[in-house]
Amino acid sequence: MPSSTNEPGERPGTTLAIVAESLYLANLLLIPGIAFIALLVMYRRYRDAPPLAFSHIQQTISASLWAGALLIVANAVIILLGGYDGPYTWAVAITYFTMAHSTLILFGMIGLVRALAGQCWRYPLIGRPLPENCPK
Amino acid sequence: MKYKSQSVAKLYFIAAIALFVGQILFGLVMGLQYVVGDFLFPEIPFNVARMVHTNLLIVWLLFGFMGSAYYLVPEEAERELVAPWLAKLMFWIFLIAGAATVAGYLLVPYAKLAELTMDDLLPTMGREFLEQPTITKLGIVVVALSFLFSIGITILKGRKTVVTLVLLIGLTGLAVFFLFAFYNPENLVLDKYYWWWVVHLWVEGVWELILGAILAFILIKTTGVDREVIEKWLYVIIAMTLITGLIGTGHHYYWIGTPDFWQWWGSIFSAMEPIPFFMMTIFAFNMVNRRRRNHPNKAAVLWALGTAVMAFLGAGVWGFLHTLSPVNYYTHGTQITAAHGHMAFYGAYVMIVLAMVSYAMPMMRGRKAANSPRSQVVEMWSFWLMTVSMVFITLFLTGAGILQTYLQRYSDQPIDFMTVQDKISLFYWLREIAGVVFLIGLVLYVVSFFIGTDDPEAVEKIEVDAETA
Ligand code: HEM
Ligand code: HEM
Ligand SMILES: [Fe+2]
Repeated sequence: MPSSTNEPGERPGTTLAIVAESLYLANLLLIPGIAFIALLVMYRRYRDAPPLAFSHIQQTISASLWAGALLIVANAVIILLGGYDGPYTWAVAITYFTMAHSTLILFGMIGLVRALAGQCWRYPLIGRPLPENCPK
Repeated sequence: MKYKSQSVAKLYFIAAIALFVGQILFGLVMGLQYVVGDFLFPEIPFNVARMVHTNLLIVWLLFGFMGSAYYLVPEEAERELVAPWLAKLMFWIFLIAGAATVAGYLLVPYAKLAELTMDDLLPTMGREFLEQPTITKLGIVVVALSFLFSIGITILKGRKTVVTLVLLIGLTGLAVFFLFAFYNPENLVLDKYYWWWVVHLWVEGVWELILGAILAFILIKTTGVDREVIEKWLYVIIAMTLITGLIGTGHHYYWIGTPDFWQWWGSIFSAMEPIPFFMMTIFAFNMVNRRRRNHPNKAAVLWALGTAVMAFLGAGVWGFLHTLSPVNYYTHGTQITAAHGHMAFYGAYVMIVLAMVSYAMPMMRGRKAANSPRSQVVEMWSFWLMTVSMVFITLFLTGAGILQTYLQRYSDQPIDFMTVQDKISLFYWLREIAGVVFLIGLVLYVVSFFIGTDDPEAVEKIEVDAETA
């Protein structure tokens, strides 16, 4: 199975890695849910992709799961604990959401930059350890 | 430094930083007046301090842009600057006119200043950011035209690059849109309508081109990545800026009496304005990641990357936050706006000017490429202190703004403006504390110019690339 279409001179798996990071960003920015499903599909289809590609797929899936927890679950907890119509609830919830969301986007940008360069990258704090054979 | 005439930039940079210090001092005065209403009354009323704070900001950024252009244009055009004496003359004219204007704000009541400067001949005073007496505005036009002349001719006579082309378009646009500062129709709707052609089309239009050009220049110099690659990015970024930013002006036309279609046009186009900022971040990190060399000026690279991130946060994220018309309906003119204004101005324009100063100043002071490691360490501390405290200023203002919006405009039992201000004073105290940290960072920044000046300069670390070896 052709695991990715590479330009000459690119590390194998670069294109797939770029697609994975782009889907991660799209999930946060444009099409939440849909892009995540596409990532899951990639995960199933490209199990034997080069380590570079597979590690980006793994990283972005686990980071997306964390993003879901940090953005949806944590915000729901803030609103449930604070009460739906308390002004302070909204001050905390909106500020928290904006900070968490933009931090996750910045991580994704760096992930995309690494993918473009054919390097592996571990999401800070929320990413799982990288496999040994991954180009850094 | 390859060309002698580049050194006129030094004057402009020194003045810029001095005025920056003044801007922050007045910011702190206002921040204290927010919570201690009588502070410095009647010597410095809030409205005067506000005028000084914002006008100094604009003026020192203009000094910074001009200095940057005088430095980078000869290097890109590969020739000496045309008429460097004109650049020096205009520097003093601009500085003296600026100082006289600020002195006017501080020494006489604003109405008296209007009278003294014969504003009634061509009334242009009294509008936010454009408070300068008409005669000062005319002075600004003269300075801008002379500046465009030396820069433009140098570019036309020398090597033409994408960087200088984009820079020239941006600077020309800056001068052209400033002309709307002279158009002051009686009709308040039209007045506001064209006022934004200066304010919005500057920061979300032509200034972004200037930002992109300076960033591209610094990245070419510090990363050694091929010019062609960097230029391609620059093209796409400025195209996205213009596509989104011009019609994006509509996000200021929701509530001023303009036709309804602006609700849609303004919302849709301005919602896309974060795209060029998003791309700028990817661009900067991508180039640094692919660097062919480790430039010894680490501080300059840090400022460049910082600009990309903070401009994305301040303009992109905090701009998007309140740009859709149904949201702006509630948040218009609250502390949310101030939060966004602070982080966007700092992240995009303050930081890009400081990046250029950081890159160019060592060479203009006789270094080969960079300051000593000790000086750079202090500079990098100042980077973090200013940047982190600006994040906190933004967060505190955002908190204040959300409470303000809710209590005053959203809740079923709305509370009046002043009562709400009392309720959120804690946030203003916190903002002031963060402001003091910002000032400490700025002082350290100035100190970094005087530290380690006798030490040997930082040298480039040669990386042995395991894979190519
Ligand atoms: C570096 C770029 C930017 C700078 C320096 C900047 C600065 C400012 C400032 C100072 C104001 C307050 C103007 C006033 O009423 O006095 C403002 C307002 C506003 N900005 Fe920006 N801005 C930038 C980019 C953006 C972007 C990209 C967006 C949208 C995505 C945006 C959305 C808005 C909106 C909606 C307002 C009006 C707020 C209100 O209704 O009170 N800005 N901006
Ligand atoms: C680089 C740093 C700074 C920049 C670029 C900046 C920029 C600005 C701008 C653009 C405005 C007008 C905002 C609007 O129209 O909504 C403003 C107002 C103001 N700034 Fe700053 N500022 C800076 C630092 C500070 C600091 C350190 C403080 C104080 C701690 C401060 C306090 C204020 C206050 C109190 C106002 C008036 C807000 C109002 O009228 O409601 N600024 N500043
Ligand atoms: Fe705008």
